[in-house]
Amino acid sequence: MLATIAALCLANALRGQTATQPAAQNNAPAKTQSAPAPAHDLTGVWMMRNPPGSNRGFTNYTFTKDPPELTPWAEEKFKQARASNGGEFTLKTTNDPVLTKCDPPGVPRVYFHPYPFEFVHTPKYTLMLYEYDHMVRRIYTDGRPIAKDPDPLWMGTSVGHWEGDSTFVVDTVGFNDKTWLDRLGHPHSDQLHVIERFHRVNFDHLELDITMDDPKALVKPWTTTFYYELRPNWELGEISCSGDYLDFSNFEK
Amino acid sequence: MLSRPFFAHHGTAAYDTSKVVTVKGTMADFRFVNPHVQLYFDVKNEKGETERWQAELTAPNKLSRAGWDKHTLKTGDSITASGYVSKNDARTMWINKLIGPDGQPLQLFEQ
Repeated sequence: MLATIAALCLANALRGQTATQPAAQNNAPAKTQSAPAPAHDLTGVWMMRNPPGSNRGFTNYTFTKDPPELTPWAEEKFKQARASNGGEFTLKTTNDPVLTKCDPPGVPRVYFHPYPFEFVHTPKYTLMLYEYDHMVRRIYTDGRPIAKDPDPLWMGTSVGHWEGDSTFVVDTVGFNDKTWLDRLGHPHSDQLHVIERFHRVNFDHLELDITMDDPKALVKPWTTTFYYELRPNWELGEISCSGDYLDFSNFEK
Repeated sequence: MLSRPFFAHHGTAAYDTSKVVTVKGTMADFRFVNPHVQLYFDVKNEKGETERWQAELTAPNKLSRAGWDKHTLKTGDSITASGYVSKNDARTMWINKLIGPDGQPLQLFEQ
């Protein structure tokens, strides 16, 4: 089945490519076909897209092929998790709080929703709007330091700054400990510190380096890179985690 | 690839993904709703009896970006749906190919 899906995706990708690009460039690496990145600007709608030819089948549900090294505290918590990975679950077999309770996903669990996000820059903060369940993050860029003892929030408290012209670095702390890091249920504590480095490689491509640091849950920081493409013609729609989501047990009888 | 288009919010475990079933039917109801678009259609079985099917597609936003809206299908439209059926209810389908009333396949995934 996966082979069929891969073939379908490839066919779709190729159709998209031939519609917008000269045939001679079809085999060139995607990154060379894009205009340069504008300075200090991530404006637009971005969708996850792994690089062509990469074999990263885990990016729908976790960060790395190999699991992170957990502390004993986190191991104990992880034993309670019943994953929602890979689609092979029903609402009765998982206890993913996002799916079963409509809990906000937290960061970086939010990146495992197969929907786009949008950056909106303002003079004092940058907004990240996620299509999934209207999630919003307000990333302050007014020079304030990272919060020292913030109140716990689902999506944390963020500050951001630019490194060079094309890398936006976001520091986030102040999470509650109710969310999972991924769809496998790897836990974190309220000491979680997430660093996201959004590197705009060129006009159309964004690489997101994520570092999760949590001395209570992770033996060492857990790091990954996710890849995104600009979708200039897309607008964010609405995905509401309402009761509708939880009614799906109807279809699992 | 890796954005697995068939990845449902509520999982695939309820469906038998080992075989694809194809049925022809007449639309009874079309709901362009979160989290997944719902189709209800009537199919004549081998005995000539009419059976009501329920089927789902992906999220409406994804279909919007593939050119759909709430009027793309309407009651009375003839469709041919192929997909996976529920392990426990033979008349619930997860559609992965859909031929519309004009005989042409409908695009089911955003580009």
